[in-house]
Amino acid sequence: MARVAREMVERSGVNVDQLLELLVKNAAAELTTFYYYTILRVNLIGIEGEGIKEIAETARIEDRNHFEALVPRIYELGGKLPQDMKEFHDMSACPPANLPKNPNDAQGLLKVLVEAERCAVRGYTQICNMTAGKDHRTYDLVLAILNEEIEHESWFSEFLGEGPSGHFLRRGETSPFVSKFIK
Amino acid sequence: MGLKEFSREKLSRFDGKEGRPAYIAYKGKVYDVSNSFLWMGGRHQALHQAGEDLSDLLDTAPHGEDLLERVPVVGKLID
Repeated sequence: MARVAREMVERSGVNVDQLLELLVKNAAAELTTFYYYTILRVNLIGIEGEGIKEIAETARIEDRNHFEALVPRIYELGGKLPQDMKEFHDMSACPPANLPKNPNDAQGLLKVLVEAERCAVRGYTQICNMTAGKDHRTYDLVLAILNEEIEHESWFSEFLGEGPSGHFLRRGETSPFVSKFIK
Repeated sequence: MGLKEFSREKLSRFDGKEGRPAYIAYKGKVYDVSNSFLWMGGRHQALHQAGEDLSDLLDTAPHGEDLLERVPVVGKLID
């Protein structure tokens, strides 16, 4: 634990235990989403599915990166991950991104993907609101993750016909915002 | 048939703990969130507890009323 770093956050008025619970819940959401997206990705097949596969894979890898980036901050602040993987799964900040009943339904798959990203955007916005101007390091990390989650949402939203995402897909490296935390 | 009436004291018994149902109130309506993954054990995002009237808290949440449409209404809150 980084004792003084935690003390600084406490003195700023942030409830650190509450913040830690949220960070662990969101770390659980990232790791479980990485798992569920693996299943979604392999089912993105055929003319419709194949076009979505690339962005689903990018989102999957970046969600894993988010998990990797969150863990050090959890321990710095004196928190820890549960020993039990099932417990970790069940405390996720977002519901499981389950494969739809009809796995050939590309629109159904997209809705699962966009809902998962929207849950993440909500969660990280909340943590940004809690830490802005108070816990600079957590804010910097969570803002970086939020930037990527918003891009994921916009990609899937575009494929659902909700309007243009406004940007290109990744070209080369993943996690343009979060990579500085996992080097 | 009319909606069941819940006083605040009665609502507080539906806190989602120890297997009890999880109900929340919002703007006079009582919602059953027992089957919501996001309310497991009666807690929501480390910040909120079932069995309470959350009418004044939604403004600070990162979502709107629309998410409440996904859970059933089981009654109305009476003061």
